Amino acid sequence: MNNQTSQGPPPPSGPLSSATPRASDNAPKMQYNCADCGTENEIKPKEPLRCKECGHRIMYKQRTKRMVQFEAR
Amino acid sequence: MPSTFHTCEREKLFLNPSSKRFGVPELQKLVKPFIDSFNSLLEPPTKGILHYAIDDIGVMEISDVPYTSPTKGNILKVWIEDVLIGKPLLPENVRAAKSFQIFPSECRERFKTYAGKMSIKFCWQVNNGRVNMEIRNVGMCPIMIKSNRCNLQSFYSKQLIEHHEESEEMGGYFIINGIEKIIRHLIVQRRNYVMALIRPSFANRGKSYTEYGVSIRCARLDQTTMTNTLHYLKDGSCMLRFLWRKQEYLVPVILFLKSLVETNDKGIFEMLMLGDFENTFFSDRVELMLQEFKSYNVQSRGQCLSILGEKFRIIFSLPSHYSNQRVGEYVLKKVLLVHLNNNQDKFNLLIFMIRKLYSLVAGDCCSDNPDSPQNQEILLSGNLYGMIAKEKLMDYLSSIRTLIVADVNSKKNVDFNNKKYLSTIFNKPSSDIGKKLSYFLATGNLVSNTGLDLMQTSGYTIVAEKINFFRYISHFRCVHRGSFFAELKTTTVRKLLPESWGFICPVHTPDGSPCGLLNHLSYSCRIITSKLNADRIPIFLSEFGMTIRPLISGHKTEKNQMCIQLDGKIVGWCSHKNAKSIADKLRFIKIEEKIPIDIEIGYVPPSNGGQYPGIYIFSTSARMMRPVKYLANGKTDMVGSFEQVYMNIACLPEDIVEGVTTHQEYSPTNILSIVANLTPFSDYNQSPRNMYQCQMAKQTMGTPSTALMYRTDNKLYHLQTGQTPIVRPELHNTLGLDGFPNGTNAIVAVISYTGYDMEDALIINKSSYERGFGYGTIYKSEIIDLGEFRAVGDPIHHQFGLEDDAPTSWREKLDNDGLPFIGAKLTTGDPLCAYIDRIKGVTKIKMYGGSEDAYIDQVRLLGDDLGKDEVQKVHIKLRIPRPPVIGDKFSSRHGQKGVLSRLWPQVDLPFTESGMQPDIIINPHAFPSRMTIGMFVESMAGKCGALFGVAQDCTPFKYNEESTAIDYFGEQLLRSGFNYHGNEPMYSGTTGEEFQADIYIGVVFYQRLRHMVSDKWQVRSTGPVHNLTMQPIGGRKRNGGIRFGEMERDSLLAHGMSFCLQDRLMNCSDFSQCHLCRECGSIFTSLSLKTHHKIDSNRTYKKHHIQCDICNTAKWITLIKIPSAFKYLATELASMGIKIILDTETK
Repeated sequence: MNNQTSQGPPPPSGPLSSATPRASDNAPKMQYNCADCGTENEIKPKEPLRCKECGHRIMYKQRTKRMVQFEAR
Repeated sequence: MPSTFHTCEREKLFLNPSSKRFGVPELQKLVKPFIDSFNSLLEPPTKGILHYAIDDIGVMEISDVPYTSPTKGNILKVWIEDVLIGKPLLPENVRAAKSFQIFPSECRERFKTYAGKMSIKFCWQVNNGRVNMEIRNVGMCPIMIKSNRCNLQSFYSKQLIEHHEESEEMGGYFIINGIEKIIRHLIVQRRNYVMALIRPSFANRGKSYTEYGVSIRCARLDQTTMTNTLHYLKDGSCMLRFLWRKQEYLVPVILFLKSLVETNDKGIFEMLMLGDFENTFFSDRVELMLQEFKSYNVQSRGQCLSILGEKFRIIFSLPSHYSNQRVGEYVLKKVLLVHLNNNQDKFNLLIFMIRKLYSLVAGDCCSDNPDSPQNQEILLSGNLYGMIAKEKLMDYLSSIRTLIVADVNSKKNVDFNNKKYLSTIFNKPSSDIGKKLSYFLATGNLVSNTGLDLMQTSGYTIVAEKINFFRYISHFRCVHRGSFFAELKTTTVRKLLPESWGFICPVHTPDGSPCGLLNHLSYSCRIITSKLNADRIPIFLSEFGMTIRPLISGHKTEKNQMCIQLDGKIVGWCSHKNAKSIADKLRFIKIEEKIPIDIEIGYVPPSNGGQYPGIYIFSTSARMMRPVKYLANGKTDMVGSFEQVYMNIACLPEDIVEGVTTHQEYSPTNILSIVANLTPFSDYNQSPRNMYQCQMAKQTMGTPSTALMYRTDNKLYHLQTGQTPIVRPELHNTLGLDGFPNGTNAIVAVISYTGYDMEDALIINKSSYERGFGYGTIYKSEIIDLGEFRAVGDPIHHQFGLEDDAPTSWREKLDNDGLPFIGAKLTTGDPLCAYIDRIKGVTKIKMYGGSEDAYIDQVRLLGDDLGKDEVQKVHIKLRIPRPPVIGDKFSSRHGQKGVLSRLWPQVDLPFTESGMQPDIIINPHAFPSRMTIGMFVESMAGKCGALFGVAQDCTPFKYNEESTAIDYFGEQLLRSGFNYHGNEPMYSGTTGEEFQADIYIGVVFYQRLRHMVSDKWQVRSTGPVHNLTMQPIGGRKRNGGIRFGEMERDSLLAHGMSFCLQDRLMNCSDFSQCHLCRECGSIFTSLSLKTHHKIDSNRTYKKHHIQCDICNTAKWITLIKIPSAFKYLATELASMGIKIILDTETK
C-alpha cells in the first residue's frame, strides 16, 4: 500500500485526440498565493519560488476553478 | 437566570483579538518554567547560565613541548569570552525579502528548524602576550518559541494570529525539521542537600564497603551538577566517590579534609565530635579513620594537595608546568562540593556529611527516600539545554588541545606565533554546536563525554503532539522519573507518596508500564526558575539567634545543636530548643516579603531515629513550590516539597487545629493536575475511573489547534461538531478551554434496549448521526521532495508538471503544474502529483496509497531558504472524512468507554413523555462494578443546565453529606417539572408501550476517541506469505493475517474440532507436499527420473518416476503432506549435518 512511482505509457505516435488537453497548448497560467502576504503570484516552471511582493518562500495553490462535484450519498 | 457560558465575551475575543494582552493569560503561566529556564541562558541583568558556564570552563593552557619535557615551552591560552545567540533570521545573502525575521509558522510549514545564530567570542593569548579575539560562528542553535530569542516574544493575540499562530500561543517548545519538540521535565535528586542512603548496591563496590552512604548533588551556578557520595566502610572509615568523565574515583575523605584547609588530627576530631565525646561509636570510628590516614605519611595541607595532584594530573589532562599542588587545588575546585567556592565551607560541609553518615550507621537517623518529592527537584528544559551547550563548548576547547598535543607528540612543527598554524588548528575541530543541539532535540539522545551527572542517555525529548488541547498541555505539565527507573523491577519508585501532596497529581498518571513514573504537576504547583536573592538570610538568622560557630559552654561544645544550611552551605548553628522559633520567625519575615517568598525553609525537628535534624534553607531554582494561605495574616505563602513534610497545612476549614495548623489550602482541587481537574464530579467516582478519564481525555478527537490552516502535522484529528460542555468546572473557563472544544453534549439514556448495548457497546441515534454527532476529520500530510532524487550539489533535473506523455486519466486529478486540484477526491492508486524527469523527458507520478478516500485540502509549494531555486518540495494536506461508524470508540468523562454498535433509527428509539429521544443509549451494567457516580450526577446536572440554559459548575469537593449534589440538582429538576431523581417514564420506540421501569436520562458530555475501526480493521482470506516458511505474514500494513496462536489451538483441541484445526494450521497456512522414502525415512533423497519406454520402433515415450537416490528404488516412495516450515527445518538441520528420519507406521 506504499506510494509507488509509476511511469506513464509512452507518448502515442499518432496525433492526440482533440479532447485531450495538453500542457503545451497555451496552458492556463498557474497562480499561487503567497503564504505570508497573500499576494497572487504567477510562477512558471523552472522559476524560483519566491513572492514578488515580500520574498516569502511558501506558496499556496489556489482552489481550482473547475467544477468539483461528488455524488452526495 | 443569566447565562454562564460567556458566549458573547468569547465571540468578541475571537473577532477582535487584543494586541496588548492575551485572552486567557492563565495559559501562559503553565509553560513558564520552560520559557523562563530558556531565557535564563543569556538573560540580563543577572548573568546567564551560559556566561557562568564559560566562566567555569575557564582558560585552557596548552604547551608546545611534550609532557615529559623539562622545559616549560610556550604556553597558548585559549578561552571563550562571551556567548551570543541571535534571533532566527534569514541568511544574509538573501536579497529579495521584505523582512529578515523568520517566524515559527514558516519553519513548521517548510519543515525547517527554528534556529538562531550562535557565536562565541573566542580568545587566545601566547605567553602573556597580546590577547587575540575573534567572533566565531558556532552554528544555528534551536530557539525555544516565545523565549527572549524568539521573534514572537512580545506578541499578543492579535499579532500572533497575524503570524499564523494560535491566538493564545504559549511557546515553550522547539521546532526541529518542522516538528514541535519539548525537552521533558525530569525528576532529579534535590540539589545541595546531603541525603542519607541505604543501598544494598553500595556494598557491591568492594570487600570492605557497606550499604551505607550519604550523597549530595552539588549544582554550580551554570546549573551543571556533580554528585559526591560518601561511603561508609566496614572498618569505620569513609571514602568519597565522584564521577569524572563517566569514570568513578574513590578517595579517602581525610585526604580531602586535610587538603581543603590547614588543620590537624585534633582539629578534625573536635569538629567531627562536636562535643559529644561520650558517643564512643562515633569517637572510635573517627580515631580509627585518622589513624589509618597515617599510612600516607603526610601532615600539611600542601603535602595532601600534592598527593591529590599527582594522582589526578593525567585524568584532568593539565599542562606539565602546573605543580602538583596546583593540580590538587584544581581537583578540589572541579570535583568536591562544587556548589561552594570557599574551601572552609567545603570543609565544614564535608564534616557534616561524615557526621550524618555516622548517625545513619548508628541508627540515630533514618535514610532519606530518594523517591519522595521531598528530596527531588525538576531538571528544567533550559537548564539541560545549557548543560549540553556548555559541554559542547568545552569539547571544542579540549579538541584544540588534543590536536596540538598530537602535533607536539608527532614532532610536527608547532608554532604558536604562526597565525596560519593557529587558524588551521582552531578551524579543524567541529565547532557546530547548533547541529549538536538540533540532534539532541530531534532524537532526545544525549551524546556526552561527562554524562552530565544524569542517569539516562536517551528519551529526553518528546514530540508535542497536538491530538487535542489536553494532550498538548499535558506535555508541558508532565514530569518523568527517568527512563532508568522504567527498567527497574522494583515498583517502589512508582508509589504514590503522601509527600507529593499538592505537587504531583495522584490521579493523572498512565496505567501500564509508565505508571507512577510519568506524572503530572498539580495545577497550583510552580517551578522556580531563578536563583533567588538570599544574601540577607544569614543576617536575619543571626538576629533570630543563630550562632556562626557551634555553641561552646565552658570548654566543651554544647550538645543538641543543629546546623543551619543555606543552599548546602553551613551558615550557622542553633540549639534544638531555639530551632523552631528561628524557622518560624524566618517564615514570618518571608511572608512579610523581607526575603523572597519562594525561599524554602525546611525545618527538620529533632526526632528519635527520624530524618537528620537541621534547618535547610533553599533559594535555588528548579524546586517545586505551591501557594497556600498563611493563617496568621491571611497572606499567601509559597511552600516547597521539602518543608511541606514538617508543616501543618489544613485542607478544609474543619481540619484546622488551634495552635498547630499554620497554613491552609486555597482549594482541595489544587492537588489535581489540569486534566484531572476537568473530570466532572471526580470526587464521586471510583479513583481508577478518574485515571482512565485522564488517559482518554488525551486521546479524544477535538480541536487540536485554531490555526489549522497553517499546521502541517503528520496527522491531525479534528472533531467537526465540538461543543462547550454544559457541565464544567471553573477551571474550564480559567483556561479558556472553550477555544478548543473536545466533545459533544449528548442526551444519554441508561437502558438495556435492543441488545446492541451489551458489553460496553453504545447505540447512537441515527438521526443524531445524520445531524453530525461526533463527525470527525483526519488531516494527513504528504510531502514530496524531488531533492531526494539527486545527490546534494547536483543540478536540479526534476520539476513538478505534466508533459505531453501524461495520460488523460492523470489530468483528471492533476493540474498543469503536476499538482492535484484542491478539492479533488482521491482513491487508492490515483495520482497524487506528477513530476517531469528532464533528462529522460518523461512524466512520473506519485500515487496515493491510502486505503481510504481522501480529499485534497491544501497544496503548499515550499521554496528554499534563499528563494533562489525552483520548487522542489511540496506539501499536500489530505482530508479524510471520518463519520462515526460501527466500531468507533466513544467515552463519557468518567472512564466509561464503549464502542458504537449500531446506528439505530430514531423512530425505533424510546421516547419520554415530553418526546425527547436519546442520542446515545448505554447499558445499566456499565455502572454497578465501576461505581462512576459522577456520571450520574453529571447527567442530572447537564439535564437541568440544559433546561435552565446555564453552565453547571462541577468542581470536585464542592458538595458534602449535608448539602448533596443529588439534592442540589434534584431540586432544580423538580422545579422544571422533572423527576427529582433524574428518571423519567419512557415508551418503547417499537411498540409504543410504557416501560415498567423509569429510565435514567440526562445530558452527558461525550468524547469521541481517536481509536477508530478504519485504522484498525484487519481482514485477509489469501494473501502474501513469508518467503522462507510459506506461512502467512503478519501485520495490518502488509495485508497479513492475525495469528492463530497456541491458546486458540488449545481451544479448538478442547472442542475436538480437529478438521477445523487441520484447516487453520495446515491447509490455510503452509501446506505443502513432498516425496518420502519410507525405507530410509528421508524427504530429500527422492529424485525424479525420466525413463524412455519404447512403444514401437519409432516411438518412445518419457515416463517420469520418482525413486530414492539412496535406496535406488521407487518402491518405498510416498507423497506426504507436511508443513513447509517442517521442510525448512529439515533443510536447516541437514545443513548442519543432522539427518531427520521420518518413521512411518506402515512400511
